[in-house]
Amino acid sequence: MTVGWRMSVASVLAVGCMVCVTPVAAHHSAAAAYDESKRVEAQGTVKRVLVKNPHSWVFLESADDKGQKIEWQIEMGGVTSMAWTKDALPIGAAVKVAGNPSRAPGSHGMTGASFTKADGTPIGPRGGRGEYTPR
Amino acid sequence: MTDFPTWLQGSAVGVWTRESPSIWAYPTVLTLHTMGLGVLVGANAVIDFRLLGCAPRLPIASLIPLYRFMWAGFALNALTGAMLFASDATVKAGQPVFYIKLALIACALVVTGVIRKTVERGPGLHDADPIAAPGRRLAALSLLLWAAAVTAGRLMAYL
Repeated sequence: MTVGWRMSVASVLAVGCMVCVTPVAAHHSAAAAYDESKRVEAQGTVKRVLVKNPHSWVFLESADDKGQKIEWQIEMGGVTSMAWTKDALPIGAAVKVAGNPSRAPGSHGMTGASFTKADGTPIGPRGGRGEYTPR
Repeated sequence: MTDFPTWLQGSAVGVWTRESPSIWAYPTVLTLHTMGLGVLVGANAVIDFRLLGCAPRLPIASLIPLYRFMWAGFALNALTGAMLFASDATVKAGQPVFYIKLALIACALVVTGVIRKTVERGPGLHDADPIAAPGRRLAALSLLLWAAAVTAGRLMAYL
């Protein structure tokens, strides 16, 4: 194999590695879609809970500063980490939630959320931090 | 009447893969999809690198049984891939990168088939000699296409 071939194969592999590795890292840190250096709080009513793989969702009906109705879209863990929500997060429950906000401008998304009841009592395992539970 | 992706997503296999809390559902299917990829693309890479001149003492004819492993890996991934597609069909069917991935796999399979013919026919591929330029070009193209197919597959989770 000539030096030229060696170089081209090495380049292809190097580029392939960079392209592959970057999104994988983003996936595990959720840093591509959410700003983990910030924390937002919201309160509202549980409208819908989607328990599915690879990620589940909780939808919260809430209001913004001006009293306009908004929907918080909260990205959660996979099915196995969501067993607690069946009893602890019923539809219509009034909850408070805090988590890392979505980077998308104008959106109301968050992840890494911890839930409490309106009076501040934690909901779910590990003091309300129910998702991404390490096993 | 519902369209095909909607029907597929609501089918038993789609619902089970997406929503079952069983460790044998989504986690296992996704893991098997990665293992099948490892066997298929890994065995391909062995032959491609051999044709590019790596491991010159390895007789090329001795690598032919690897094609059986490739097909096993491909069959496993066709099955698990169909299940993963079913679990999220309405989204995946709308992703351009999914069709790019399928096209790249089709092209890579064609190149793999051509390389197999070259490997089996033998003449021009004397083990001690440097492999002829067309063989090397095919091998490099094969590596590139499989790497691109893997990349497109990985990007489906992000685009």
